[in-house]
Amino acid sequence: MASTQHVLLSPAELAYLHSSLSQTPPIRPDGRTATQFRPLVAETGILPGTNGSARICFADGTEAIVGVKAEVEATGRQEEEGDEEGEGGSGNGNGNGSDWVEMSVEIPGVRDDDSGTAFLAAMLSEAVVADGGLVGRLRINGRFHWKLYLDILLISPPLSYPLPLLSLTTHLALLATRLPRLKSEGDEDPFFDDDWAAATYLYPRGEKRTRRPPVTLLVMAVGKNIIFDPSKEELAVADVTLAVSVGEESKPDSEKQKRGRRLKLVAVRTVDPPSRLTPPGVPNAVNAAYGAGGRQKQTGPRPVEPEAVEGVWRAPRGGAKPVVMAALVQKTLEAGGVADEVLDALDGVDLG
Amino acid sequence: MADRRRINGPPGATIPPIYENGDASLLKKKQVRTRPADEARKTYLKTGVTPSASGSAYLEVEIPGQEGVSGLKLSCTVHGPRSLPRSSPFSPHIILSTHVKFAPFATKQRRGYLRDPTERDLGVHLEAALRGAIIADRWPKSGVDIIVSIIEGDQDRERSRSQGDEAWDLMNVLSGCITVASAALADAGIDCVDTVAGGVAALVRDSADNGKPRIVIDPMPSEHDKIDAACCIAYLPSRDEITNLWFKGDMPDGDMSTYFDLVQEGIAASKQAGLVLVNGLREAVE
Repeated sequence: MASTQHVLLSPAELAYLHSSLSQTPPIRPDGRTATQFRPLVAETGILPGTNGSARICFADGTEAIVGVKAEVEATGRQEEEGDEEGEGGSGNGNGNGSDWVEMSVEIPGVRDDDSGTAFLAAMLSEAVVADGGLVGRLRINGRFHWKLYLDILLISPPLSYPLPLLSLTTHLALLATRLPRLKSEGDEDPFFDDDWAAATYLYPRGEKRTRRPPVTLLVMAVGKNIIFDPSKEELAVADVTLAVSVGEESKPDSEKQKRGRRLKLVAVRTVDPPSRLTPPGVPNAVNAAYGAGGRQKQTGPRPVEPEAVEGVWRAPRGGAKPVVMAALVQKTLEAGGVADEVLDALDGVDLG
Repeated sequence: MADRRRINGPPGATIPPIYENGDASLLKKKQVRTRPADEARKTYLKTGVTPSASGSAYLEVEIPGQEGVSGLKLSCTVHGPRSLPRSSPFSPHIILSTHVKFAPFATKQRRGYLRDPTERDLGVHLEAALRGAIIADRWPKSGVDIIVSIIEGDQDRERSRSQGDEAWDLMNVLSGCITVASAALADAGIDCVDTVAGGVAALVRDSADNGKPRIVIDPMPSEHDKIDAACCIAYLPSRDEITNLWFKGDMPDGDMSTYFDLVQEGIAASKQAGLVLVNGLREAVE
């Protein structure tokens, strides 16, 4: 993924961008604050042939459509056993749900078997499945379950790393997903109400809403700053990039009754930032064009880190300190933080 | 129209009935974890096993000594650094390509010869872990291929497919891949800032301790009743830096401190793998 995302910025431009993003407060090229998302347009229920669908269009012109289709599938014998075991042991049997949700991501201009696309699809589906409640709701009876097919289509060319866009669209599509109401009882062959108006939501809404599908947010660190929803240019100077998936669990008996939102961490992955592939700048001191002499003979091993020169870009090397990683996750999940804000904003979307 | 003339068998697959033998001693006991929670399984690592590659390594994880149980066996080859083909554009850095492939016989369910999405996903994780460690700008205009093949995965022949969850096995596989690839890179003589090593920590619940969650490192999914969350970390010990972090799971009460503990334990597991790595490399030098 990183290797396919080439940014045409010179070392001098990269150094300028890095220093402006490391200031306090950071100055971003598009004038946003560090925690501000790109403005977006969202709508749901655009595809009548699906169980649920959504479209999101970011202000920078990237646009994605997600369609959710559900099929009844016979539960395999082994899975059934596993499910019962899971329920007996813990109360939520998410042990075997991983093949009940199938996700495909299509990005224009990228080969079907591209590793980056496989990585994106794995990241989005692991977040959806890791939140154990979904698998329980897909179960029809002991012999049958719903199988969800989530097909994610990026319509525009990938102008920035499309993870936040695809994740938010998937979230809305899942929220809008409805399944036909079940008429049969017990373990008999399932028989459904053919009135679509009576169909129930996969994620029930209203007072007794329990859970919502998770959202995956892209967070990056530059110097001491933590920046959310980075654009392509900003990613080119990132020190470390994390994809954090956040689920929601609202418990009525919690002390945070007034907010009514408890965020929980579902998945975290490091995303290889394209900054590691950027060309380094050459300081004047060693540049022959500026009168630097021939190289001295070096004895012993070369130093790992060449000396940092102010204003000369160097691709980041090594990883990130555990403290930085922890700060990125903490900042995403804190009450009133970005994840909270994004979920609040998505609440405002009319689900039709 | 269904065939009404013959008496057809049931539509689905059937399995012959197996009766439980009254003798309880013949039944296989469930494996339980005997080593302490903060100790990884013993690991064998050897470099330079494939003479034709510029660097190679082999890693094997201890098996618990029961019949029909196999441990992880990984082999890694590094080809390169070699020059890029003339047709490719200029690159100021070494171009890293990682391939992770399960052998068709490595797991209970046969894998095809083409890489499936989970293998590609592991390849991207491995690439992220190694890219942080390699000093890439010392080889402009060149490429290196890192190929990890999983010869045998962690598995227990006696257990049914539903009992183990492959999703958690993948974390163990990835941590092994990172360690073995790092050894092979060192064997190939490619400059790295440090030897990167992989480790896994998991939040597990066992009926033996009344379903109370606890954190163990290097978990074997077959040894625990339920795994709530797990985290795989690629760690550079001398720089105290993480190059790759992969966490997933259902935290019991949305508590952040459990997550931070899990990451700390993951780092501890990586440090143990790092010791094995350093000893293996030292043996190869002497």
